[in-house]
Amino acid sequence: MSSQLKSAFALKPRFLVPYLDRLLIAASRHNASLLLFLVCCTVAAIGAIAIRDMENTSADTMKMYAASVRGLQNIGELQYEAQETRRSTLYALTTNDSNLQVEYADQSRNADQRVKDGIVEYSNQAKEAEETALAQRLALDWESYLRVRDEVLASILEGSTGEAVSYDLSGGVPAFERVRRDLNEVKRLYGENAAKSQARLAASSRRSTWRLVGIQGFTLLLSGAAIWAIQRSRMLNAIQLAKLQMEFVASVSHELRTPLAVLNSAADNIADGLIEGKSTLKRYGAVLQHQSRNMSRLVDEILLFASTEDGTQRYVLQPLLLSPIIDSIVKATEGVLKDSGFVLDLTMEPDLPFVLGDVSGISQCLQNLISNAIKYGGEDRRIILHAFEAGGEQRLGREVCISIMDRGIGIDSSELERIFEPFYRSPQVSAAQVHGTGLGLSLAKRIADSMGGRISVSSEISVGSTFILHLQVAKGDDKKTAATSFPSSLSLLI
Amino acid sequence: MVRRLTAILIAFEFALWPHADAARVLASTSEAPVAELGVQAEPLVIVVNRSNPSDNLSSTELRNIFLGSRSHWTNGRRITLVMRDPGEPERRTILRDVCNMTEDQMKTHFLRGLFTGEILVSPKVLSTPLGVRRFIFNVPGAIGYLRLRDVDDSVKILRIDDVLPDDKHYRLRILNQVANE
Repeated sequence: MSSQLKSAFALKPRFLVPYLDRLLIAASRHNASLLLFLVCCTVAAIGAIAIRDMENTSADTMKMYAASVRGLQNIGELQYEAQETRRSTLYALTTNDSNLQVEYADQSRNADQRVKDGIVEYSNQAKEAEETALAQRLALDWESYLRVRDEVLASILEGSTGEAVSYDLSGGVPAFERVRRDLNEVKRLYGENAAKSQARLAASSRRSTWRLVGIQGFTLLLSGAAIWAIQRSRMLNAIQLAKLQMEFVASVSHELRTPLAVLNSAADNIADGLIEGKSTLKRYGAVLQHQSRNMSRLVDEILLFASTEDGTQRYVLQPLLLSPIIDSIVKATEGVLKDSGFVLDLTMEPDLPFVLGDVSGISQCLQNLISNAIKYGGEDRRIILHAFEAGGEQRLGREVCISIMDRGIGIDSSELERIFEPFYRSPQVSAAQVHGTGLGLSLAKRIADSMGGRISVSSEISVGSTFILHLQVAKGDDKKTAATSFPSSLSLLI
Repeated sequence: MVRRLTAILIAFEFALWPHADAARVLASTSEAPVAELGVQAEPLVIVVNRSNPSDNLSSTELRNIFLGSRSHWTNGRRITLVMRDPGEPERRTILRDVCNMTEDQMKTHFLRGLFTGEILVSPKVLSTPLGVRRFIFNVPGAIGYLRLRDVDDSVKILRIDDVLPDDKHYRLRILNQVANE
């Protein structure tokens, strides 16, 4: 496992990845789904851009289609009405009935009015100079034809059919041919414009396609990067946890090995009959007792942590007076403090209110904090325990605080966030060969949390640290059920 | 009582004329006492193409034109005579007041004229006032007749003997008894 870890860490590139890893660890500590949310937001934004692009292209296509249909319709109508004008005029030649001739003449005039309207519309829609010139030419040619047409109609109505045919052949046919050529020219120009529009649309479509491909690629890349980041964040977390567990196992093994070595040695000496005299045996017995208690304490601590970890540890909260609990703890830690050469200064405000908690929980919590102070208390070897009432935070109401202050090595501000993490031991502490499992503070915090309290810390390097256990003040009704008895002895894990 | 009711109906019809000239004519006609003019005596106007340079015709010129004796206008355009179907009140009025002929005499006159070559073209016969109006609009040399209410901007009204149809001395009128003949 350790070789795997080493190889995993050996894979890290030198410059960028360590920074990235630090960022990922920090991000994953808060919430890895934040990254996913950001990715989703980005994908949504990119999707919106893609949709807008497609809508624009679609609108352009529809516009072009509508314009094509309208244009073709207009040209078709123009050609039809021009033919209708001439056709109606020629129909008038086919009859001698003046009433019918007048009717045909009217049909011809109605059709020619529609042609004029069509030419005006074409002229209004003309955008290029060539189109405008063509519209003007068409209007002139049409007027020219109409003048001949009027003469032809007049001749037909007068009954001079021969004259009408003569007029039509000499003037009408060439004039109408010019109109026909103009209309063909309109058609040609329209075709050219439609081809240009089509080319523009094709170019726009190509741009849209490339844009979509780009967006898709970018999205894919981003998604890949996000997945990589999440996976890496998880892997780093797992590696870190594994590393902490390895350190924990090593630390516990070390902690167990020392008393075991002493026990083995003492037991061997006794078994081999090397111990002579009652006083020596008594001293060996005391060593065996002390070391076995150390081992027992270590095992109890691990078991307690495991029980808080899986939530099996439940505390029965009741109103408690702090003074007997603190007195009991002072007595219980007296020996350890003395052995370590520490002095405990105890100050308690008078008339402290009842607090809500559990006797064993509070005791365990304070012991861990005192034990921590002993470990890192430095050369000053003085621990100050102060109990006082405070206003507390607005939402929590009044509370009683028990502060444990030492003048030891202190904790770096960057470490403060992590000292309550299970198995965490700061690099400085590990380097200083201070024994420990990294569970004490984590355990204390969990116990405080489960009693509805909390632990705060303030520290300064080389000045010392102050841990404060905050406990809720019991309400008036709770005091009726206040504990009337206090356990005569406490099983403490010091 | 019946005559008064008829007068009111005719006046109502006149009020619906869209044409400004016609409205002016109606206004001046309305100035004359109904009893004096006779409400049945609706003016019959002589109309020509708007491009026709003539504004006035004497009774003699009008007769010559309607009998085919005159074939061209002063601008050289050939005259095309437009008539209504036989039996129509307007045609009877022209035959009576302009040609001084009966229908049969008219037919005989034109048959003889066409046969002898004195008349070049026989009159065009149209069955509706709208047809007459559209014919005259399309043919620059055409001349015809319409009731005053059938006239619009597409044709030009000619004075007869310098008298407009709105004048009380205007001679061409469709009389009631004519209509009832």
